[in-house]
Amino acid sequence: MERRTFLQRLTTTAAVIAGAATPYGLARVMSPDAHAAPHTHLRPPGALTDDRAFVEACIGCGLCGEVCPVHAIQFYGREGGSKVNTPYINPVKKACTLSGHCMEVCPTDALTVTPKREVAMGIAQIDRAGCYPWVDRGVCGACVTACPLGQEAITFAFANFYRPVVLKGCVGCGVCVEVCPHPSLPIRIVDRSLAKYAPEKITPEMSIPQEATVVVPSPPANGSTAPNPTGSGKGEPAGLLPF
Amino acid sequence: MEHPPSSAPAAFFFWRHLNLLRWLVLSLVFAMLILLPYVSLYQNYVAGHAYDLLTPHERQIYDAMEWITAPIAKSDPAKNLNAIKGNTWSGTLFGLALSDPLAVVGQIAAQMKIYWPFLLTALIPIGLTVLFGRFYCGWICPATFLYEINDTVRNALRRLGLLSSGKRWDLRLKYLVLAVGVGLSTVLGTVVFSAIYPPVIVGREIQYWITDNGMGVGLTFFLITLLFDLLVTRRGFCRYLCPGGALYSLLGRYRLFRIQRQVARCNDCTLCDKVCQFALQPMRDGFGQECNNCTACIAVCPTQALTFHVQLADQPYQGHGHLGAAYKRLQLHSAVKEELR
Repeated sequence: MERRTFLQRLTTTAAVIAGAATPYGLARVMSPDAHAAPHTHLRPPGALTDDRAFVEACIGCGLCGEVCPVHAIQFYGREGGSKVNTPYINPVKKACTLSGHCMEVCPTDALTVTPKREVAMGIAQIDRAGCYPWVDRGVCGACVTACPLGQEAITFAFANFYRPVVLKGCVGCGVCVEVCPHPSLPIRIVDRSLAKYAPEKITPEMSIPQEATVVVPSPPANGSTAPNPTGSGKGEPAGLLPF
Repeated sequence: MEHPPSSAPAAFFFWRHLNLLRWLVLSLVFAMLILLPYVSLYQNYVAGHAYDLLTPHERQIYDAMEWITAPIAKSDPAKNLNAIKGNTWSGTLFGLALSDPLAVVGQIAAQMKIYWPFLLTALIPIGLTVLFGRFYCGWICPATFLYEINDTVRNALRRLGLLSSGKRWDLRLKYLVLAVGVGLSTVLGTVVFSAIYPPVIVGREIQYWITDNGMGVGLTFFLITLLFDLLVTRRGFCRYLCPGGALYSLLGRYRLFRIQRQVARCNDCTLCDKVCQFALQPMRDGFGQECNNCTACIAVCPTQALTFHVQLADQPYQGHGHLGAAYKRLQLHSAVKEELR
């Protein structure tokens, strides 16, 4: 082959490959990893814990999103940088209900079948300043009611006070985040290593707000119904009840 | 049309209709890619018992899907509509998990280790490719569906004199793309092919469009490939750049089923050369590993000279077709020579 022909072919080859790779490269270069807020970008349950390993394993087929019965799984777009087309769950919009369908269909080891209680998406943390019962603004308990793991993951701090505390069993599915009625979104799913959770045994002292000095009321004797706001008939001081 | 009798048998009559069958299969795959996200939405609405809360648009989807899936879904759409899920990149088909071999190659390159359950899902496609060559490109690929429509547009424009005949490069360019893609996957730690491989882009963008917030960056890339095919060269992406096509060409290099010309029936009409979108020239016999078994040449052949053969390699060039003028002239020349001797 003549040198001239060789150079011509080399140039054409390089031009074609560059032309084909340019849109992809531009998409990557123009939108570097945006470091999306981690508490609104959880990986689906059963995901590899190392996110780099997850991106290596995920082929971006979209099966997990298709089989998700609540359509919680979304996919990173251009803004995801190298995570493009990999799945995430934004519990503020729609939270995972731990149905486990995504783990079953995932063809790769990006999502592996994990028992419900061993899922490690994170752990919920409650900002008590934004929680209605914790600031004495009413009765709620939505998070405790909705939690798919029930009393293992989140419970009331004390009997009928409606003040939620997170327990060690929380896997971070985010249903509490979705159902929380407070506009400031006081519940966040954070990394497990950063979390604080209540001890196994709930004591009456735990239901006391940090700054407040209140008389700890005695637990109601029958305790089955919501406490009466007036606190009548039990000898409890009305102004000290949390609503 | 009457033809003089020929020594070679005519091609099996059904092969002529394979092209139509192929179009049905392509349309079915494409229709499924549109239907499956809607099925997924419908299952979501049913699971939520949320009919009363749906918007009018969502109710239309619900009602339409209820009507379409009624015979299959019976009473429980959440359980009974799970037979087919996913797209051509990876999916489940009646309980059988299938994956694109390119996905496996890309994932092994990115992960630098082999995850066996995933590799096993690609065994059936690999086996079929070894037997039939690039059949995926012609029969299944949802991008082919759009590229062939695009090629029809291109032909119409060419007939109007608006386009030139197109550029030609080395067909081995796509192996370079495959190699670069594998290298990039290893370096970047992501499956690069899933962002640049048209069939997965088509399947995924349709899903995003229907169930998510709309199409993503893949749409731009796919439109660029469509323009490339339209303006630069015929089926250019598939022939020169597609990493999947490169992988299937490699796997199907020694494929068993090949389209071959029976020279005794050929009349040199060159219709097959014109119809072949991959510009493989069946008249020259050397198909190589590029043929995607689209069977357009079989369908177009007026003398049924093209047929499937079971052999490991292509025949070398067999000369002019025996029913054509050039061959007869040659015969006459040799006869005259004999006469004069």
